[in-house]
Amino acid sequence: MNETSSPVVAAVGVSRSYRLGAAVVPALRDVTLSIGEGEFAALQGPSGSGKTTLLNLLGLLDWPDSGSIRVDGGDAGGLTENLRSDLRRDRFGFVFQTFNLIPVLSAEQNVAYPLLLAGADLDHARERARELLSAVGLAEKTTVRPDLLSGGERQRVAIARALANRPAVVFADEPTANLDSKTAEEILDLMRTASDSSRIAFLFATHDPRVVARARRVIELHDGRIESDRRVA
Amino acid sequence: MNPFALALRNLARQRRRTGLLAAVVAFGFAAFALAGGFIAQSFEGLKEGTIRSVGQLQIVDRRAIARNEETTLEFGLHDAARARGIAARVPGVSSVLPRIDFVGLATNGSKSVPFLGVAVDPEPEAAATYARELITAGSFLSGGGGDGVLLGTGLASALGVKVGDRVTLMSTTPDGSLNAVDGIVVGLADVRIKELNDRYLAAGIGLVWRLLQSPEMVSKLVVFLSPGANENAVARALEDALRKAGYDVAIRHWRELATFYEQVKLLYIGIFGFVGAVLVIIVILSAAIVMTMAVSERTREIGTLRAIGTRPAGVLKMFLAEGIALAFAGCVAGMLFALVIRAALNASGIILPPPPGATHGMPIHVRFYPLAYAAGLVAMVLTMAIASYFPARRASRMSIVEALAHI
Repeated sequence: MNETSSPVVAAVGVSRSYRLGAAVVPALRDVTLSIGEGEFAALQGPSGSGKTTLLNLLGLLDWPDSGSIRVDGGDAGGLTENLRSDLRRDRFGFVFQTFNLIPVLSAEQNVAYPLLLAGADLDHARERARELLSAVGLAEKTTVRPDLLSGGERQRVAIARALANRPAVVFADEPTANLDSKTAEEILDLMRTASDSSRIAFLFATHDPRVVARARRVIELHDGRIESDRRVA
Repeated sequence: MNPFALALRNLARQRRRTGLLAAVVAFGFAAFALAGGFIAQSFEGLKEGTIRSVGQLQIVDRRAIARNEETTLEFGLHDAARARGIAARVPGVSSVLPRIDFVGLATNGSKSVPFLGVAVDPEPEAAATYARELITAGSFLSGGGGDGVLLGTGLASALGVKVGDRVTLMSTTPDGSLNAVDGIVVGLADVRIKELNDRYLAAGIGLVWRLLQSPEMVSKLVVFLSPGANENAVARALEDALRKAGYDVAIRHWRELATFYEQVKLLYIGIFGFVGAVLVIIVILSAAIVMTMAVSERTREIGTLRAIGTRPAGVLKMFLAEGIALAFAGCVAGMLFALVIRAALNASGIILPPPPGATHGMPIHVRFYPLAYAAGLVAMVLTMAIASYFPARRASRMSIVEALAHI
C-alpha cells in the first residue's frame, strides 16, 4: 500500500469481477491504493489488467464486489446514488478516451454544465467556462459545437469541463489514445500544468509511454493486482 | 442546466425523428379536436332538435308518470286553458303548448290507414318548434287549425291524398265510443324518421277535441323556457303554482323523454372513447419506440451525464422533458392542422348518411369546441409522459460503466 500525506480517494482491499457468459472473470483482486492531493499518477498495464476497472471504482462510477472506496477519508460504500453523483460532480473530474462531450451543447455550455449542475448561476458558470476554455487555448471556440472541433480541441474542452468545479481528482481513461502525438503532448502538458498550479490530482489509465513519462507516480497493474507502485522524480 | 433546455436541443438535433413523432402527436391531437368538435356539434344539434320537439319541460297528470294510458286522454289534464295560463305566468317560461296524443284511422273513402296523431295549437306550435321546416307540400296548420290536417308524406302516400283533399279521421273517445270528423289536408310533412312518416298526422286542437269529444282536455302541456332560465327552478315553480291551483301534476324534463338522445349520446361517447383509446395506444407505442431508440442511441451520452454528476432523476427529467416538449409542439401543429381540416370540412358541404331511423342525412359540421382541444392537449401530454417514462427510467437506472462502454 502506498500512502500519501493527504489521500483524496483510496481503494482499500478492493475486488471486482465481471460475468462473461457463464464465466466469472476477476478484474481486480484485493487492491489497495490511495491518491493524494496534487498527484500526477499513471495506472499502467496490459489490456485486461484492471486499469479502467480501478479508475471506475475510484471515480465512483462502479461498485466493488468487496473492499471499500474512501473519498476524503469517508467510506463511499454506504452512499446513495444521489450522494455519489454529487461527489463525482463536486470532487471528481473525468476525461475520456472518446472525449464524451454533450453533442448538442457548445464548448462553453459543455464546460458550464457541471457548474450549473452544482447550482452556480448562469452568469458565473459562463464566465468560469470562458476562463477555463481560454486556459486550454480555446478562447475563440466557445460557441462551437463538438462536431466542429478537432480531436485535440474536443479533449481540451473535456479537460476544461473536468476542471470546472475545481475537483480534487481528475480521472483520465486513455486521454491521448485518439490524438496525434503533438496534440497528445500538448494535452498532457495542459493537465500537468493544471495539476501543478491547482494541486489537482490526476490519475490516468494508459498504455501511452508519453503519459507514463510525464507521471510522477507509476502504478503497474497485472492480472488485477498492483505489481509495482513507484514514484519518479 | 434546465432539463427542458437540453431536451429541446436534443429534439432539434434529431429533426427527422422529432418531426415524425410530432406528426403522430399532431395527428392524434387533431383527431381528438375534430372528433370532439363533431360530436359536440352533433350533441348540440340533437339536444336542440329534441327540445324543439318535446319542450324543455312537460306538465302531465301525475298518474301518467306511473302508468300508460289505456284509452286516449285517460290521464289527460282537465281545464287545460286555465292550467296553460297559470304555467305561462311562471317566471322563466317562454311559451306553453297544449298537445293531445291520439291514435285512429284516416280514410280517403276507400282506404283506411292507422295514424299516430298529435293535436296542437298551430301558431304557438309553429313559433316554438321546427314544425314549419318539416313541410314538403302545402303549409303548416294556421290560425286555430280549423278542419286542416297535416299528414306525414308516407301516410299521405299510403292514402293516396294530396294537399286540398279531404280525409276522414276516426278515433275512439275517452269513454270508448267511436267518432269521426272530416278534415282537409293542408300540408305534408317529412318528420325525418321513416316509420313515423308513414303514420304521422297533426291537426288543430279544436278539431281533435271534436273528434275525441273531450273539450278542454289535453295530454300534456309542453313548456319552453326563456334563454338562461334554470330548468330545475322553473320546474319546481310550475309544480307549485299548478298544485296550488288544484292540479295534481308532475313535471317531466326533456332528458327523461328523449331516450333516443341519451342512446345516441351513449353511442357517440362509446365510439369517441374507442377511437380515442386507439389513438392513445398508437401514440404511446410510437412514442415509446422512438424514445427507446433515443435512449439506446444516446447511451454513452447518458453515461457521460451520469459520470460528471447528473443525478438519476436529472436523466429521467431530461427524457420526460423531451416527451412533454414534443407533446406540446405536436399539439400546436395539431391545432393548426385541426383548424384547417375543420374549415375544409365545414365548407365541403358533405352530407352524412342519415342516422338509424332517419330519412335525411345531415351536412357535416365540425364545431370549434375548446374542451375537445383541451382534452386533446391533456391526452397527448399524458400519453407522451407515459410513453417517455419507461425509456427515461431505464436511462436513469443504467450502469454508468456499461453506458460509457456502449458502442
